[in-house]
Amino acid sequence: MMRSTFKADEAALAAVFVVPILVIMGGLVFYPLVISAVDSLYRINPMQPDAPFVGLANYARLMTDSSVQASWFNTLAYVAAAVVLETIGGLGAALLLDRVRYGRQWLLAATVLPWCLPPVVNAIVWMWIFNPSYGLLNKILLGLGIIAENKVWFNDQATALFLISLVHVWRMMPLTAVIMLAALQSIPADLYEAARLDGAGPVKCFRLVTLPLIASGLAIALSQSTVFAFNLFDEAWILAGSSIDTRSVIIQIYLTAFQNMRLSSGMALSILAMIGSLVVSLVYVLRVYRETRFD
Amino acid sequence: MLRPLSSLLGRLGILLAVGLLLCWSLGPVYWSFVTSITPPVDLFGDPSFWPKHPTLEHYAKLFGSTSLSQGNAVQSVWPQFSAALLNSIVTAAGATAVTVAVAATGAYAFVRLRFPGRDICFYLVVATLAIPAYTVMIPLYRLMISLKLIDTYTGIVLIYVSAFLPLALWLMRSVYQAMSISLEEAAWLDGAGRFYTLVFIVLPLAAPGLIASAILTFLNAWGQFMVPLVFSPTLATKPLTVLLPEFVTRNYVDYGLMNAAGIFAIVPPVLIVLLLNRYLVSGLMAGATK
Repeated sequence: MMRSTFKADEAALAAVFVVPILVIMGGLVFYPLVISAVDSLYRINPMQPDAPFVGLANYARLMTDSSVQASWFNTLAYVAAAVVLETIGGLGAALLLDRVRYGRQWLLAATVLPWCLPPVVNAIVWMWIFNPSYGLLNKILLGLGIIAENKVWFNDQATALFLISLVHVWRMMPLTAVIMLAALQSIPADLYEAARLDGAGPVKCFRLVTLPLIASGLAIALSQSTVFAFNLFDEAWILAGSSIDTRSVIIQIYLTAFQNMRLSSGMALSILAMIGSLVVSLVYVLRVYRETRFD
Repeated sequence: MLRPLSSLLGRLGILLAVGLLLCWSLGPVYWSFVTSITPPVDLFGDPSFWPKHPTLEHYAKLFGSTSLSQGNAVQSVWPQFSAALLNSIVTAAGATAVTVAVAATGAYAFVRLRFPGRDICFYLVVATLAIPAYTVMIPLYRLMISLKLIDTYTGIVLIYVSAFLPLALWLMRSVYQAMSISLEEAAWLDGAGRFYTLVFIVLPLAAPGLIASAILTFLNAWGQFMVPLVFSPTLATKPLTVLLPEFVTRNYVDYGLMNAAGIFAIVPPVLIVLLLNRYLVSGLMAGATK
């Protein structure tokens, strides 16, 4: 008797707490997701009167569109540069933070700061550093004698892609560093002691003790870097706008849908990008799963 | 003889690495601040790392009723800037309040209350973390138009909540799971109701988790660019992140003004890092190891 009233009370409270979540997520995420998938099979353009069913024609056109291909190439370049630089830099920063004894929380605060700032402001700050006439980058490189005259950095596609990646890496590296630091601090100190007693030097210690034990943290950091670089928008948009040399897939979606008003085409591309992003995360998740299962 | 030398070299190496890391992380922010207090003449001459003639000129331009640009009186940016600053604060604070409230109660239900479909609901919501925001943006745009929520605080806050709720839920669920149930059971035995127990016993204990989710949500909302770029076309809701780049598109780029305005957008995150870093880092770790 007592028990059943408690249960009813419990279910009522659960309904009050959970229904708002279901309404918000259902209405603003799941419903639009389904609409996105369905509408990508129609031709929807506010400039044109009707919206006929066109099957996979939107997708087919995306495969041959040269701007779309260029944007895929740029996004892959961002992912490659970001993953490599964030992993090396983040792991380095984490190893350093793990060793520092005095003022570690202040160094950690300084390291995390770029992640906290609005990406747009980051991009503006760096845009000023990259300024061809008055920028700090030209000044430093001139001062060091590395370049002979001021460079217009964004005239060259490879340089532009690299510099945009660099701004992105500046923002996202702290995440890798924090994840790696957590992994490093979970390693018991006596393991190092044992390895040292066995005569292992610092390099051997890192290879045989540190690396295997931070592997799953590393996989998480890698997947985060990949997914965030895959979804890069702000930095490229602020630094180079709609330039074909630097536009990412997400910029291509934005231009297609909100500037050219080809809504269904944009939805088709956004579905493809989502699948790409999901596949990438899944690969990492499976990797981690297999690794944790085997030991 | 060799040992102290190598340890000294090791210390020097660490010191050097610390210096490098600090330059990399703080250098650009410092340079932006220096730019914001350097007079325009020096900006286009020979800027130095330590401003020789510090000035508040650029900040005066932000706040002044009229402003000068290259010797010509131009329209003041204060009306736009103040509106955008207010919009940033309202939307980010609103999204944070709603997200944390919904996550705190929702996660409690997912951990402590028994109801049909509990786990499926939770995993469905958290699975949306893997769905990039842009995938739902185009239908969402048409939905918001039909609901007349484009360019309204309600619309923006709702979108932010739907985007940041899964992470906050995930975080709060792990907080509740780590808490022992015995205190709650003691309260129930004393005749306290579920809701009373949640508000007066569970939530105070969960404070660090609440702060961490609030920080992550606030920073995410404060820095958002693409969502307001689409959903905030006018100054009714346009935040700083969308207004700032518009200073560039005029034929003359006023870098001093932009950096001064950028410093304002940087202040809340900097304060959070300085005052609440502990919660921020624990939230980042918990959120990242999903």
